[in-house]
Amino acid sequence: MSLFTKISLRIGLCVLVGFALPLGTAGTVDDAQSFALQASEPYVKEGFQVREDYWGGDLGSGEKKAVRQQLFKGNEYWFWLGTEVERAKISVHIYDSEGKLAEQPDSWEKGHFAAAHVIPKATGSYFIIVAVEESPEERTHWALVYGFR
Amino acid sequence: MIAFSRPLKLSAIALIGVTFGAHGAQAPQRIDVKQMSKKVENVVVPLPNEIFGALNKLGSVNWREYVRAGKTSNFTERPRIALLLGTVIADGFIAVQAEDAPAVKEIGQRVLNLSKGIGVGNSITPHAKAITEAADKRKWEDVRQELDRTQSSVQQAMNEVHDEKLSQLVSLGGWLRGTQVLTAVVTKHFSADGAELLHQPDLLVHFQTQLQGMPEFNLPIIRDIQSALSEVKPLVDVGTARISAESVRKINDITTRLDSGIVTRD
Repeated sequence: MSLFTKISLRIGLCVLVGFALPLGTAGTVDDAQSFALQASEPYVKEGFQVREDYWGGDLGSGEKKAVRQQLFKGNEYWFWLGTEVERAKISVHIYDSEGKLAEQPDSWEKGHFAAAHVIPKATGSYFIIVAVEESPEERTHWALVYGFR
Repeated sequence: MIAFSRPLKLSAIALIGVTFGAHGAQAPQRIDVKQMSKKVENVVVPLPNEIFGALNKLGSVNWREYVRAGKTSNFTERPRIALLLGTVIADGFIAVQAEDAPAVKEIGQRVLNLSKGIGVGNSITPHAKAITEAADKRKWEDVRQELDRTQSSVQQAMNEVHDEKLSQLVSLGGWLRGTQVLTAVVTKHFSADGAELLHQPDLLVHFQTQLQGMPEFNLPIIRDIQSALSEVKPLVDVGTARISAESVRKINDITTRLDSGIVTRD
């Protein structure tokens, strides 16, 4: 192998690794959404219709974001939160328009998945609070999907 | 690979949840809403079937009465097409409630034609095909899901070409038609629980804010909707009080007038 070929190969390899590393570690909100949808899968079998629309973004460790959603009395809702950062801990909780916790006790959180269950006592606006409790990343993508039946 | 890994991961989550309990730190029982309001993200507009589902639980509804599958006017103004598109997708949800396969198929075709008229037809063709196939097989859940996907794809395609305002009009058109049918059903068989489904003051503010940001769409129908939303708001923004039968009827009159303006040429 000539010196030129060796150098060319080494440069090529460096360029490849340079591109591959960030691609391998950097996720997107779409990745986070696929985890949120993954969390919803068992509930679809129970008759929940999962909306195509979703919320997403990124948060630092310890940061929260509120989304407001119109919910209808008579329906039952699950909100599923996901992130692609597997070592992150995330949470989602639901409050009514007065700021009172409105979720059912079977709401859960487990690592990079979390879910909140609500059977609205009244039709109106509710606050869904998403939080990145802990994360090894500076910014952590999140996505929130919801379903109803 | 993905198809296998997803169920495996989910099984693992379910197992851990059952064994150790999957609850995290205790959530605060109360939050300061005023403080939170400053950080609130945009609302997701509910689809008509979300409201119809709640309505169905209050008693049986003769959905066939509300199916509309005839031809509508052709428009060249893109905001008008966007509003009509949202209305027609809502008609699709009504036809699904009525389990009316021919109407669903016709609506699927209209959605495709309107999407072409607004320049996003390519993203809708597979959905229109899926709607027809699911309607033929009377798989209503699949049709519902495909209608949701259709609206989402239309709006995503619009957002990609920076037509976010048209995308907002699609949601608004669907919400108006859904509200028209909701108020028609509740007017016919009034119940306080049925009327309560109209308690959506934040959504009205959301639409009002969006319309205020569209001065370039200087069309009579847009102005009509703006002034109508101001009429509707005090009727539904009642706090903990009940929405009266008279208010429901008034909202039905208003939304029927707007619907007529959306589907017919000036």
